[in-house]
Amino acid sequence: MLSAHDVTRSFGGLTAVNHVSLEIGAREIVGLVGPNGSGKTTLLNLLSGFLAPTSGEIRFDGTAVSARRAWQPSRLGLRRTFQLPKLPARMSVLEVMLAGGRLPAGASPWRSLLTPGAVRREEAAFLDKAMGLLAEVDLAGLADHPAGGLSGGQQKLLGLAAALMDDPAVLLLDEPTAGVNPSLRRRMADHLRRIREGGTALVIVEHDMGFIGDLCDRCLALDKGAVIANCRPDELSGNQQVVEAYLGRRRPGVPLRVVAGGTAGAKSSGARA
Amino acid sequence: MLEFCLHVLIMSAIFGIAAVSLNLQAGTSGLLNFGQIALFGIGAYAVAILTRAGLPWPAALLAGMAAAALGGFAIGRLGRDLAAEYWALATLAVAELVRLVALNEDWLTGGPQGIGGITGLFPGLDGPARALATLALAAALLLATALTARRLGETQFGRVLRLMRENPDLATALGHDIVACKVKVLAIGGAMAGLAGGLYTLYLAFIGPDQLLPFETFLIWTMVVLGGLGNVAGAVVGALLVTTLYAGIPFLKDIVALPSDLTGSLRVFAIGSIVLAALMLKPQGLVPERLRRLHAQRP
Repeated sequence: MLSAHDVTRSFGGLTAVNHVSLEIGAREIVGLVGPNGSGKTTLLNLLSGFLAPTSGEIRFDGTAVSARRAWQPSRLGLRRTFQLPKLPARMSVLEVMLAGGRLPAGASPWRSLLTPGAVRREEAAFLDKAMGLLAEVDLAGLADHPAGGLSGGQQKLLGLAAALMDDPAVLLLDEPTAGVNPSLRRRMADHLRRIREGGTALVIVEHDMGFIGDLCDRCLALDKGAVIANCRPDELSGNQQVVEAYLGRRRPGVPLRVVAGGTAGAKSSGARA
Repeated sequence: MLEFCLHVLIMSAIFGIAAVSLNLQAGTSGLLNFGQIALFGIGAYAVAILTRAGLPWPAALLAGMAAAALGGFAIGRLGRDLAAEYWALATLAVAELVRLVALNEDWLTGGPQGIGGITGLFPGLDGPARALATLALAAALLLATALTARRLGETQFGRVLRLMRENPDLATALGHDIVACKVKVLAIGGAMAGLAGGLYTLYLAFIGPDQLLPFETFLIWTMVVLGGLGNVAGAVVGALLVTTLYAGIPFLKDIVALPSDLTGSLRVFAIGSIVLAALMLKPQGLVPERLRRLHAQRP
């Protein structure tokens, strides 16, 4: 469905994503993990067409993804969400949902003015669909509330539901559970499973390993912009490179010791090594 | 007095159209167009030039709208990669450019003297009857413009414009080509502003470069800010209040003894004070944008 071929992205002297190739199959759930600054979000921005790669190519369903037309992948069925949804304060929840749908008559200024019947019929169908999706994420009761007034977790659910208005084939999720409380987090996992059952492949950038382990078929671990592992989630902890990326390399001859404050010291020294 | 009231109402209707246009661009879509007067001016000059060439006024008005729509399209294309603030500055520059062309291309625009002696509207009538007919026409066109803007604001087109205003990245992620939306809304806003400009020329039977000064843009902005960004009715209310005040201040000298050059400055001062007061006391405007409760409105 979605593939990256030898994709590199540099920002000045920093190579955020370094020669990454990957392939996402239909209905797969793939986790993107790695320490802070490893290039996960940059990779997500590249895959969704929000950033242009310095070199390499991204293809979705046979079409090249181009940052010149960042809106195009979404219309072809490749959609993304944001870590911070920042939903509009002066639009209602239901309006944001409709904005996620494809309403060609209403989206055209001419047809808005000249064919009110077609606009109304189209809108009625999408209103039903929107209310159905809102009910699934428990937001139906808030349909007429300002979207920007929802809690952070609810905004994430709404961002997800709006992305589903066009039944994407692949959905890219940027930290869907960051800042979301544990009970909502479990519900989020249930939603995502249901979305996959509906035929959508998911790529999830996530820090919560429990969440990833629960949900994903496969994990890609990134470190310093490169893919260092491509395996099942339960194999990650046994992967030497992944452990080193998170905790730092063990210097030969120095015994590993646990210092007060957990692994923070080991991690920061590793980051500098 | 009747003549003055009719004059104020006609000017309110004309500037109401320009304000509804700016409200669609700035209020609904978040496009800070500081060159609104350029679109107004393109329509105004096009109508002046074409009626002078012998075209009947309805045809000239339509051509003026088309020319201004093209101008809006060009402004939208011009800054398609600019961030919102820089684009706003660019629109100010474009407006000055248009004014300078009007000032210097004597062969086409009459230069500093402008174009006068235009036949104008309803030459068969005179006095209050002519003013009344003009008012009826201007009011009908304002109503049509306002209904068009309201309709465009409530369909998916308007929803996408509002999403673009508040979070362009999200609009893009949901499959909306925001550059295309921007160009479309500027072309539509351009046609509306061109209509206002054309009516202005036809009503006053004159257009000159001094009518295209940046201050005029801020006058229209004042109407929209005072009335309420994002609400069509607000733009109309703002246009009526600001036009009345602007036209009424010179009459102060009949009540209080003021030198007439002072009333000119007083007008500018009043406009500035209104903007300040509106922004500080009622930043949402007199008629604030309303949340659209689609669920409650469902049959």
